[in-house]
Amino acid sequence: MPTAAPRVLVADDEDDIRALVGLAVRRAGCTVATEVPDGTQALAAARTDPPDLAVLDVSMPGATGLEVCAALRADPVTAGVPVLLLSAGASADDVARGLAAGADAYLAKPFSVAGLVAQVRELTSGGTA
Amino acid sequence: MTLLEPAPAGELARLRAENSGLRAQMQHRDDELQVATRMLQARAQTMTSVIDAVTEQSIIGTDVDGVIRVWNPGAERMLGLPRADVVRRRSITEFHLPKELDDAGGGLAALVRTAQEQGSDVRDWTYVAADGAELTVSVAVTPRTDDRGVHAGWNFVGTDMTEARATERMKDQFVSLISHELRTPLTSILGYLELVLDDPDLGEESRAHLGTVERNAQRLLRLVGDLLFTAQVDAGRFSLQPADVDLADVVRAAEETVRVTAAATGVEVLVDVPDGGLVVHGDAVRLGQACDNLVSNAVKFTPAGGRVTLALRSAWRTADGAVVDAPQDDAVPVARLAVSDTGIGIPAGEQGQLFARFFRASTARRHAVPGVGLGLAITRAIAAAHDGTLEVASVEGRGTTFTLTLPR
Repeated sequence: MPTAAPRVLVADDEDDIRALVGLAVRRAGCTVATEVPDGTQALAAARTDPPDLAVLDVSMPGATGLEVCAALRADPVTAGVPVLLLSAGASADDVARGLAAGADAYLAKPFSVAGLVAQVRELTSGGTA
Repeated sequence: MTLLEPAPAGELARLRAENSGLRAQMQHRDDELQVATRMLQARAQTMTSVIDAVTEQSIIGTDVDGVIRVWNPGAERMLGLPRADVVRRRSITEFHLPKELDDAGGGLAALVRTAQEQGSDVRDWTYVAADGAELTVSVAVTPRTDDRGVHAGWNFVGTDMTEARATERMKDQFVSLISHELRTPLTSILGYLELVLDDPDLGEESRAHLGTVERNAQRLLRLVGDLLFTAQVDAGRFSLQPADVDLADVVRAAEETVRVTAAATGVEVLVDVPDGGLVVHGDAVRLGQACDNLVSNAVKFTPAGGRVTLALRSAWRTADGAVVDAPQDDAVPVARLAVSDTGIGIPAGEQGQLFARFFRASTARRHAVPGVGLGLAITRAIAAAHDGTLEVASVEGRGTTFTLTLPR
């Protein structure tokens, strides 16, 4: 029986970047389970239907990616969901804040699509690509 | 009853003369005392009038326990209480934000610890005025001694920085916002370009055009990074992640970065580094950035057929600042990277301005060499953050050498 492709939640307030992340997710052999433009919807979607990976923009309306990440970690239902943060903040302090919030990986914008594909594959244990 | 014999006339005259001399001496001393008192009063008056003339800074003097003894009009104005309500009645700690004091260890000791250890201290504290307003104040603290040189208390000279700090915060937020707003569209541009360039069916001409788009998007990205970094340096929020860094590796990496451009423009790049490497303690990313800036500048300003040399050496810096090739007593070990080119050079009269932000040498403008004038300012800030220096020597039309010296 074929294994189902890992399901990924994508949250970013920029339509173009959400679409770009979606492309990378599919190139990594995964499917986009939910696409949302803000942190509040991201948290609600993850709690209703926990994905295999959450790709979150740090700077979003509603709740920031850092807040969503911390909330996911605090909820037993979503505590195990891997989180990849995307952010325009590229300093060591920015990365440290992301990892302190419980993220598994952090990519600074602009990211390379190939790099994002590799990260998504790694965090979903290879996907089915 | 004893009758005194009358003193002989000579003796009487001598006593009278002595008495008169003593009176004259007393009068002289009295005059001297009066002069000294007037001088002291005049000096005290001068001091008081100087302190009272200061209306934009608070000058607060305390005894050793922090009880206020001096309270100038600047303090009255800043904190909203007249001298009579404060002197001998209030402690300096009552005008500080309690939480901030507690976080620093609490009480007067928190305020004066550094001044006690180092003789003086300047830092921002939050003063709380009589109406409850919180003010960000840059406070200079120094110990005060009495006329016998015995520690008698503390001086606190404060400048209200509330508005200045608020402006700095706004500038920070603005730069951060701009940086975010510029990076976001660049993410889309570069990301979708990557997808298009990945297409094996893309025609050669289209690929070349899109390559130009990508190169310029990367240039814009570097500019955003440079502006953000410059703002961080200004705000003092520029932190280093120190580790042992082999500068030889950094130099080789910088050469690799410019190799394609140098080859395309016909510039030869020579690398001369010690075989065993040369390790300094610093931030690998920032040192790489500094080195990249120097090397890419050298290539950029050198016409076809020219040469760029990257020479890394260990050296020693003596107490008077001279750098020598061999160890000496009291000389500290340093690493020196000299980036020399045979390029267009910098006019002697402009070399002093070279490290100023946005400055571009007339030779750069005349030869239409692209750039905005941030690279050298950033490189020097990185050198300074490592307790190092960046120097320039140049002859117009002959070439330029930038020397980066870092402690090792």
